[in-house]
Amino acid sequence: MHKTQLVVIGGGPGGYVAAFKAADLGLDVTLVDPEANPGGVCLYRGCIPSKALLHVAKLLNESKEAHHWGVQFGEPTIDLDKLRAYKDGVVAKMTGGLGQLVKARKLNHVRGRARFASANTLDVELVEGGTQEIQFDHALLASGSRPAVPGVFRFDDKRLMDSTSALALEDIPESLLIVGGGIIGMELGQVYAALGSEVSVVEMMSGLVPPADRDLVKPLHACVEKSFTNLWLDTKVTAVNPSDAGIEVDFEGADGNAFQHVFSKLLLSVGRVPNSDDLGLEHTRIQLDERGYVQVDGQMRTGESNIFAIGDIIGAALAHTASHQGALVAEILAGHSKLVFEPSAIPNVVYTDPEIAWCGLTEEQAKAEGIDVKVARFPWSASGRATTVDRNDGLTKMLIDPSTDRILGVGIAGANAGELIAEGVLAVEMAALASDVQLSIHPHPTLSETVMETAEVYYGQSPHLYAPKR
Amino acid sequence: MPIEFKMPDLGENIENGDVVSLLVSVGDRIEEDQPVLELETDKAVIEVPSSAGGTVTAVHVKEGDNAAVGQLLLTLEAGDAQSAEASADPQPDSTPAQQTAETQIESVSEAPPASAAQPAGSVDFNMPDLGENVENGDVVGVLVSVGDTIDEDQPIIELETDKAVIEVPSSVAGTVEAVHVKEGDNAAVGQRLLTVATAASATAAEEPAGEKQVQATSTPPAAPVAPQAESLPSSPASALAQTSQPPAPAKGVPAAPSVRRLAREIGVDITQVEGHGPGGRISSDDVKAHSKQLHQTRATSPAAAAAAPLPDFSQWGEIERESMSKVRQITAERLSQAWSTIPMVTQFDKADVSDLEVWRKEHGKRAEAAGGKLTPTAILIKVLGAALKVFPQFNASIDMASNEVIYKKYCHIGIAVDTPHGLMVPVVRDVDQKNIIELSVELSEMAQKTRDRKITPADMQGGSMTISNVGVMGGTAFTPIVNPPEVAILGVARSSVEAVYIDGQFQPRTMMPLSLSYDHRLIDGADGARFLRWICDALNNPFVVLLEG
Repeated sequence: MHKTQLVVIGGGPGGYVAAFKAADLGLDVTLVDPEANPGGVCLYRGCIPSKALLHVAKLLNESKEAHHWGVQFGEPTIDLDKLRAYKDGVVAKMTGGLGQLVKARKLNHVRGRARFASANTLDVELVEGGTQEIQFDHALLASGSRPAVPGVFRFDDKRLMDSTSALALEDIPESLLIVGGGIIGMELGQVYAALGSEVSVVEMMSGLVPPADRDLVKPLHACVEKSFTNLWLDTKVTAVNPSDAGIEVDFEGADGNAFQHVFSKLLLSVGRVPNSDDLGLEHTRIQLDERGYVQVDGQMRTGESNIFAIGDIIGAALAHTASHQGALVAEILAGHSKLVFEPSAIPNVVYTDPEIAWCGLTEEQAKAEGIDVKVARFPWSASGRATTVDRNDGLTKMLIDPSTDRILGVGIAGANAGELIAEGVLAVEMAALASDVQLSIHPHPTLSETVMETAEVYYGQSPHLYAPKR
Repeated sequence: MPIEFKMPDLGENIENGDVVSLLVSVGDRIEEDQPVLELETDKAVIEVPSSAGGTVTAVHVKEGDNAAVGQLLLTLEAGDAQSAEASADPQPDSTPAQQTAETQIESVSEAPPASAAQPAGSVDFNMPDLGENVENGDVVGVLVSVGDTIDEDQPIIELETDKAVIEVPSSVAGTVEAVHVKEGDNAAVGQRLLTVATAASATAAEEPAGEKQVQATSTPPAAPVAPQAESLPSSPASALAQTSQPPAPAKGVPAAPSVRRLAREIGVDITQVEGHGPGGRISSDDVKAHSKQLHQTRATSPAAAAAAPLPDFSQWGEIERESMSKVRQITAERLSQAWSTIPMVTQFDKADVSDLEVWRKEHGKRAEAAGGKLTPTAILIKVLGAALKVFPQFNASIDMASNEVIYKKYCHIGIAVDTPHGLMVPVVRDVDQKNIIELSVELSEMAQKTRDRKITPADMQGGSMTISNVGVMGGTAFTPIVNPPEVAILGVARSSVEAVYIDGQFQPRTMMPLSLSYDHRLIDGADGARFLRWICDALNNPFVVLLEG
């Protein structure tokens, strides 16, 4: 039996940040995770490997475009094993680094799967075999999520991939159907399209990346319309039949018309479900909602006052949100007992090409909640920097409270939007006024100038975007 | 989690006493307020009630012992945080239903070596992070002392930083065992300020093994209660504040994350803070200023001026305690507030009502026919209504916050009514638009409604001025207390026939003694005298009302 002040269940970006922070604040911490090193889905099967592959995809795409700029490349040869090894190397390097940090902090890392036996005890099924009991004062549940698998896709066939197996990069299928045009589907779709697959996307909703404002999705939509073979919106998959020829998929469009296609492979990316079903939560008073998410209060505290939960298991589904929540819980446990999770702006980034990023209020949300906002937009056709890289397909916009000029939300579509959104996050969190951004000197020529110019648009005119007075 | 019950402060300078008998023993389940021992002091034998509920796991005194205030009496294994919190609260308002006297699962944590010096049941409250690179400050005031029972969020010291003077609120509830700073000290973030005995602390550090055994056996593992959040001994402050539900995240507040955090740390609801920056942005100075203002308001409120502790009256004879009615409580509160916030002056005068009395008796029948009663009060309402027209500063309220005087264009008169349930002040509306008979009818109805407790709070609001007529009961004069937010009140005592020197000779005249109390902030003495004189003249010669009113 092992006793600890804080046990963290799950070594993803929520769990390991919480464990590190708590240890740094002087707590005795035990981290339970099956992998040899921390990392979770984000490092092993998500953010990190997909970004490594997207980096390569971008190179492939740019080499194709280069003839516009007077540079001719031959047809690229893809050594899949080497590419896979590069991606695995990135993952190994980063998770290994985290392993070093675990050792440096002298954290007790128990490799295994944890289940609650009571509100103070965990039974851990060890990877090496056997079980270990852990008694704890506090627990932090950060066991994350896994890909959702709707009924028609519940069959065992290697050609049916989820994000994990797609990132494993076994081969480059001739044709690939992406089921679900959300963030994960679009990112991996672009990877496979760049590698040479004929990619089709089917999405139930009427647009790609449903949570984003429509004007931000437009540049991406225009891009994939060219690079993808088919884009079926408002369309459902009604049946899936694996056969020797491939996987036959029956579709039903919005107008009710049914059609069928055969694909070499399928990638299922219709969302994620929380890993809350096999944790022994029935031995605690932790409550789940109807979708299986753990219910917490503003301090991330569950129905058991000594057990907290963060990240995907409570519905956050963003690594950086989980990390922030994890650090917050560590601080609460270290004596900052009054802190509450209350960000003004959580950034969302779609790492496609072009990227999409937004934070704070969206237009959809403002409409739904009846919040009066004025929207200022700056199209990248007026950006010098965008022109130099031949990427004028972008947009920067701001949602501003007209009574105070306060910036409530920022949205960016275009190359490097994910990097650019950080300024928006800072602006919203600091309750900056549009004039604060307008009057801050931005470096020229950069894409960040579009943020400044958007603020100028709000006040009437920006130097590079002339709108005739009405 | 174990609760240490220590000898409470018994008031009246009692510092110790002999334990005459123990009323509980190990294993007993006791409730809050249940007497646990009899103590003989030099004044009397008293029963000491427990401040917490739970199961007794250890009794630390025996009969014959001399026990001092603050000495450990019992260790309890108890209920959840609510009862622990209630025990820190001296208000006897907790009902048995609130006490979760269930025993509960105790995770017997290993004694951490680092905190071995910490006595069980005590936590240190260290200077919290005040944000904005404030690392220390001068203690300009210590607001608590040893033995005080403090609540969470209660300010404990005033700290002058290079930015502002702020009050540092405690994040612990309990009894102050030691104060580690004094005025003039420089205190740094993280420095120990107080040691507080808190029921919610659970450092099992120094518990003897045997006692642990007792806990282990006395706590059924399936107890369906909240396992208490354990304090992490290396950071005792974490034992705090696990009891109250954290407030909802503040959404959309125009304040930087560091400022929002400062507000959380010092217990300020940032949604209530007015931002003075561009676009209403809230700075840390705004938060500190708000905190200071909050504490000042709290300090000057009547509730803060706590009454001195009462002696034990039963030592002198039989007594009976009865809870105050709601009306009494409100009356007490409002009058205390009026008394402590309004600088009042009372002036006296007498009105010659001889002719008015004759007239009143002659016309009494007419009012009766209409369903009313032609009382002096009914007439006074009319006269007072007229007086308020002539002297508008009496029909006003003061807004000290904005330095404005609010003049009322309406004329509603409150009438103090003596009821079996206590004093109530219903308001007669628009008296300037009603004749005396109408007023007499309304007054009768309203008085009856009041005595029957059928009036609503709305019926008692919005008065311009109040009349308190105790003439029926008697008296020659009195000093009524202004009924805020009004600025004046007219008291009426019993009329009597007096010898008045008129036209070279004494004549028997019926004189009505009037007492006018007013808010001297708004009304000068000369105005008060003129106002009261005008009323006397009007009662002597009602034609004045028609002429000027």
